Amino acid sequence: MPLSAPAATVSAGTATQQETEQDAAREPADPWVTIVWNDPVNLMSYVTYVFESYFGYPQAKAHTLMMRVHNDGKAVVSSGGRERMEVDVQAMHGFGLWATLQESGGAQGAA
Amino acid sequence: MTPFRAMRRGYESRMDPVERAVLARVARDVAAMVRDETGLPAAAPEPDPNDVPTPHTGSTTRVWNKGLLAPDEITDGDLAKLTGISSVGPTPQDPAVRRLLPDASKDDDAVAGEFRRLTQNDLAREKAERLEAFADLLEPPASEDDPEPEKAPWQTLGRHGAPPPVRVSRESADAVAGALTDMRLVIAQRLGLESDDDVNALTDQVMWDQQMGREIPVAADGRAARRFWSGVFVAAGFALETLMEVMIADLRGRPRPPESRSEDN
Repeated sequence: MPLSAPAATVSAGTATQQETEQDAAREPADPWVTIVWNDPVNLMSYVTYVFESYFGYPQAKAHTLMMRVHNDGKAVVSSGGRERMEVDVQAMHGFGLWATLQESGGAQGAA
Repeated sequence: MTPFRAMRRGYESRMDPVERAVLARVARDVAAMVRDETGLPAAAPEPDPNDVPTPHTGSTTRVWNKGLLAPDEITDGDLAKLTGISSVGPTPQDPAVRRLLPDASKDDDAVAGEFRRLTQNDLAREKAERLEAFADLLEPPASEDDPEPEKAPWQTLGRHGAPPPVRVSRESADAVAGALTDMRLVIAQRLGLESDDDVNALTDQVMWDQQMGREIPVAADGRAARRFWSGVFVAAGFALETLMEVMIADLRGRPRPPESRSEDN
């Protein structure tokens, strides 16, 4: 992702950061996960907006997930049943983000 | 192009006629590519008043009044309307369209195939229609009762002597952001932009050319074409970036919806 002004203005406190790290971890009971992959085109601000507006994640969590996509190349952004994940992946593709779904046992991107 | 600003009736940016025309043209071209690669019909043409509806396009009521139609008179479209199921178009072969409709699994063809079968038509239609709507917003189709048919509405001057701004309603802002994103993804694929460094270098070059007052040349040879598409990429990025700034501000200013999934994670 190219750097962008709005994303740079986001600040996440240390306590919130820790909390969101845990939030992003998948629930053991959820059999499938949605993974968003990094690409050089999508703006950091746009990816953050998608995570906030579509998933309803708080600003700090959306920012953490966006940075994880940017730095690690991918991030698990939601988990649940397969059909639910298909809905999420479809929504991500609708926004122009590249997302995949997979069974959570093989999710390497999970925190 | 001025940055998008939040106004009472939506987000507004002032674009000059060339910027409007170029972005509208690219939006229409990308929409046509998506339709073509996924087997969707071309954008609906203007309805021809001389067109007489053929029997099979009649309402379902009429079908039932007449009794069952013979199978060869029922089109795929009729079937889709009745059942909500339509045949899946081909998997896009053009890598740029493939990026807009990517595989939903990197290593499981069954998962990717099933996902494509379930979602490709809807996604492709959504993308094509919002690109076409964005193009119409930039260059509104001339209406029939326009007193000045030789002038498009956006070319007429506003109250203060300036052309009216491009106004994106809050309801359509997601669709416009998505259309700009898809345009950038397609151009990036065509330009071979594969890393953050590629994109940053291209952006720096375009900004440098702009500061030096160099004009985007007419796309006559490969290098000129590359500079033209680079300019479009950066312009679409500027529009999206500034639109995002005001959309995010609005989003964070709104009370969180109760169905937010932040609670159950």
